[in-house]
Amino acid sequence: MSDRILLAIETSCDDTGVAIIKNGNILANVISTQTVHEQYGGVVPELASRDHQRNIVPAVTQAFKLANIEKNQLSAVAYTRGPGLLGSLLVGASFAKALALGLQVPIIEVNHMEAHILAHFIDEPRPLFPFLCLTVSGGHTQIVLVKDFFEMEVVGATQDDAVGEAFDKAAKMLEIPYPGGPLLDKIALAGDHTKYSFPEVDMQGLNYSFSGIKTSFLYFLRDQKKINPDFITENLPDICASMQACLVEILLKKLRRAAKEFGIKEVAIAGGVSANSWLRLKLQEEAVKYRWNIYIPAFEYCTDNAAMIAIAAHYKFVHGKFGSQKASPLPRWSLE
Amino acid sequence: MELICTHISELRLVAQSIIEFNRKYSIWLFEGEMGAGKTTLIKEICNQLTVMDNVSSPTYSIVNEYVTKNNKIIYHFDFFRLKQEEEALDIGVEEYFYSQNYCFIEWSSKIPSLIPPKYAKIEINLYKTNQRVIQLSQHG
Repeated sequence: MSDRILLAIETSCDDTGVAIIKNGNILANVISTQTVHEQYGGVVPELASRDHQRNIVPAVTQAFKLANIEKNQLSAVAYTRGPGLLGSLLVGASFAKALALGLQVPIIEVNHMEAHILAHFIDEPRPLFPFLCLTVSGGHTQIVLVKDFFEMEVVGATQDDAVGEAFDKAAKMLEIPYPGGPLLDKIALAGDHTKYSFPEVDMQGLNYSFSGIKTSFLYFLRDQKKINPDFITENLPDICASMQACLVEILLKKLRRAAKEFGIKEVAIAGGVSANSWLRLKLQEEAVKYRWNIYIPAFEYCTDNAAMIAIAAHYKFVHGKFGSQKASPLPRWSLE
Repeated sequence: MELICTHISELRLVAQSIIEFNRKYSIWLFEGEMGAGKTTLIKEICNQLTVMDNVSSPTYSIVNEYVTKNNKIIYHFDFFRLKQEEEALDIGVEEYFYSQNYCFIEWSSKIPSLIPPKYAKIEINLYKTNQRVIQLSQHG
């Protein structure tokens, strides 16, 4: 049997991602911010990260070089069809379609949220079906019941803000620059997470809400600053640690409930916020307590990347799920 | 026009009044500090306009697109995380703004020169813990 080699393109938001996968093994995983950084040798402005049109050709060229693969070896071309920003998605879709047409190979459409979950199949250990996946990022917060590669059910989701946004906005209130989530995580390492507590809003069933807790943080800081104007600077690590613990507990509470409800012990996390150190730590504690088998992706597969698009495309190819040259990007493409 | 909202139960009425008042405008700017309730208000307005999708904050995605029962499109923007106005041009805001569809915009202060001359403004001011005064004005 000949090798199955796929090129995957991810342009749903800020970064241009390109990956090459051969028989299910990732050979190259390029992110534009890095390529542009190396090529121009300077600090990349925020604007460049959005500039998919300028990044896509150099990123694809670099991926071919790293993988030591020629264009005519490709079996198919895959791209992120949604969800994401329409303008960004269009760049990836047009490029992928044109390349597939030129090479006369099939095209594969990948759902970005599905790919975040399937990123768990890049390396060992791989979760067993059915498993639960908590997908957490700047734009999404959902609990997905994964029955098979392409049979997924969203059993809980945020009704307002995503948890990543709650992290970033909490950081903003503490005057930590955007995107403040990762920095808040670092500062929290030195803090006491039990020092402050915040009132939580409980949502029905397995759904989430992060808009209320954001307002609670705001009022808490405002009231404390009235008593002591230097409250934030004097207590920053403790505030960060307490806020982080509060947000993570909200996430885990529903995950525990879902695990119990569905009687599932295979539990995974995915998305940018799964890089959060406190979430990783607490999830490990839960795993011991409830005898879960947990799956936490490598850092490079947590944030947006094309390797996850490539692995999803690999399984789509195996299942014979090919796309169409006539398909348009879907900015709001839900999992079901 | 000025509306006062002292409890979440009054939100429905407030949203109705805003829709009625701004009927002739497609660009609506929502102003108010973080936690004022901009997204919550937009959620209720979308609900009244028969949006079927889950209305959530577009801080990360910058723009969300919703469809109503009669297939009308509504765009919901949040420019909070933009650093330069040019970034908004890159995502094609002009095409959205001049599409005649409703555009509900949060954090418009990030893109002052890109806002069309004709717009309605909804300012939410928080007084006591739960009292919000909502001021409506029309421009251009």
